[in-house]
Amino acid sequence: MSASVADGPLLEVEGLSKHFGGIKAVQEVTFGMEKGSIVSMIGPNGAGKSTFINVVSGLYEPNAGNVRLLGEDIGGIPAHAVAAKGLGRTFQLEELFESLSVLENVMVGGHTRSRSGVFTCGFSRPSARREEKRLRDEAMTCLEEVDLTQRACSPISKLPLGERKLVGVARALAMKPKLLMLDEPAGGLAAHEVDQLIRLVYRLKSRGLTIFIVEHNMPFVMSLSERVVVLDEGKKIAEGTPDEVRNNKEVIKAYLGEEI
Amino acid sequence: MNISLRSAVWFLIGITILTTPLVTGSYVIGVMCFVAVFGAIAVSMGVLLEQAGLFSLAHPTWFGLGAYVSAILAVRGIAPPWLGSIIGAIFVACSSFIIGAPLLRLRGYYLACATFGLLLVVEIGLSQMGSLTGGHEGLMGIPPLSIAGFTFETDLHYYYLAWALCLGCLWFLHNMMRSRIGRAIKAFSDSEPAASSMGINVARYRLKVFVLTAVMASLAGSLYTFYLRFTQPGIFGFPLLVELTTMLIIGGGRTLYGPLLGAFVVLWMRELLHLYLGMILPRMTAEVDSIFFGILIIVILIFMPGGLAGWVDRIFGLRRKAIERVGG
Repeated sequence: MSASVADGPLLEVEGLSKHFGGIKAVQEVTFGMEKGSIVSMIGPNGAGKSTFINVVSGLYEPNAGNVRLLGEDIGGIPAHAVAAKGLGRTFQLEELFESLSVLENVMVGGHTRSRSGVFTCGFSRPSARREEKRLRDEAMTCLEEVDLTQRACSPISKLPLGERKLVGVARALAMKPKLLMLDEPAGGLAAHEVDQLIRLVYRLKSRGLTIFIVEHNMPFVMSLSERVVVLDEGKKIAEGTPDEVRNNKEVIKAYLGEEI
Repeated sequence: MNISLRSAVWFLIGITILTTPLVTGSYVIGVMCFVAVFGAIAVSMGVLLEQAGLFSLAHPTWFGLGAYVSAILAVRGIAPPWLGSIIGAIFVACSSFIIGAPLLRLRGYYLACATFGLLLVVEIGLSQMGSLTGGHEGLMGIPPLSIAGFTFETDLHYYYLAWALCLGCLWFLHNMMRSRIGRAIKAFSDSEPAASSMGINVARYRLKVFVLTAVMASLAGSLYTFYLRFTQPGIFGFPLLVELTTMLIIGGGRTLYGPLLGAFVVLWMRELLHLYLGMILPRMTAEVDSIFFGILIIVILIFMPGGLAGWVDRIFGLRRKAIERVGG
């Protein structure tokens, strides 16, 4: 974990907007995240949460606004460059690499921290073999973290949903990220799997990792988050501790509709 | 397949290739020479199409350009064949880079259409630039390949050279596909958003595979032209594309060695077909040939969607599962 910027927020989002033609998916969202904190984003379906995470991680180019990670501008730069700056993420639909094994999927996470080129690898130079061993060991450590070592060699297609989600997390952890963004990590999980996931997130936080979560599952969000950001129709309508958000009129209106 | 079995299989293949010329005649050596050359192009095309998911149809073009550049340089006495082959490879690397950079932004069928256009344009270009390329009739008087005073003259010389190139490419790609580069390639073909979010520069990796496989085709093309001592635009056009695709489908492109197996099966089947068909239907051989391979492709696609290699792997896969069951 780098301590280059000791103070100042880890992530700063300023007036971030993303439009698709006439649809304003994200409108001038502003908030910040302290190092080592857990912040969640909630909102009704179609509120723009996934779009938000895709803009921050560089898959979409923002129409306006700024994103800074540890004081460095990452708004509008391509996803692979954002990843290299220390942002690791998972996907709502996992997006695992189906033609690779579980371990190989996690090893892809080490891509930015390895250097061997086409010819070093193709001629199987000793340096490439050493690096390969390092990536393998690191990936095994990440699989241990999510308790999936016994699945290391199995193909992705053989895994149940809960384990697919965990492979996604392990793959992001292998990037040794400064900020971990989880896109609906609890979506479709059984209750005991959600409990397992909560314990995992706490464990990661205790190691000093900063975690941003987009999630629908309220018990999950409310038990984990220090702060919650609420999005509705692309706009931030509330921000605060879980209790503050729970009692916020705007939030209740967005979820339940207006009182008659 | 466990490691000792796999190395035993490779050892056997190596021994077979080394000793085949000792026990067979020039006919077998000649056909096996073609198997090696087409195997090398088919293997590199398999990586490009099936592993990287880049549906490029311009692979015969790189084969042809490599052949023509080295042949022209040799015929005009500008560069000896060995140097010409390297210059040809550099020329192909540069042109595939320049063409690939804008073209690889296209996806799926669009990429296939654009690269198919390239294939036709280069073929027409080669036949129209008569003063340089010899036009439709082709280029003649190509000298044999010689390296450091040793001249490759007989089929046997080219046999060993072609197999060295073919197995060299296979070995290189095998190492590469098991490394971080190969994982990155398979990753972007499975999920581009996830791959770029892992820090993989997808555009650059697409270009890398495209150029690398083009260079392999170019080297095979140079070797082919010095073996035949003759070259013609028609060799590198649509028929070769069909031939390579047949090899990929029959052999199975999801594995590295599948296309090589495909080249072996297709070329030998054709030889046998011509041998026996020539006796029964001497005037219909070419037509029956296309019908035969057409039907074979359909049968393979229905009953062995993974090609012969996929089928072989399944047999060994079942074996492995049986071992796991006993062990667990």
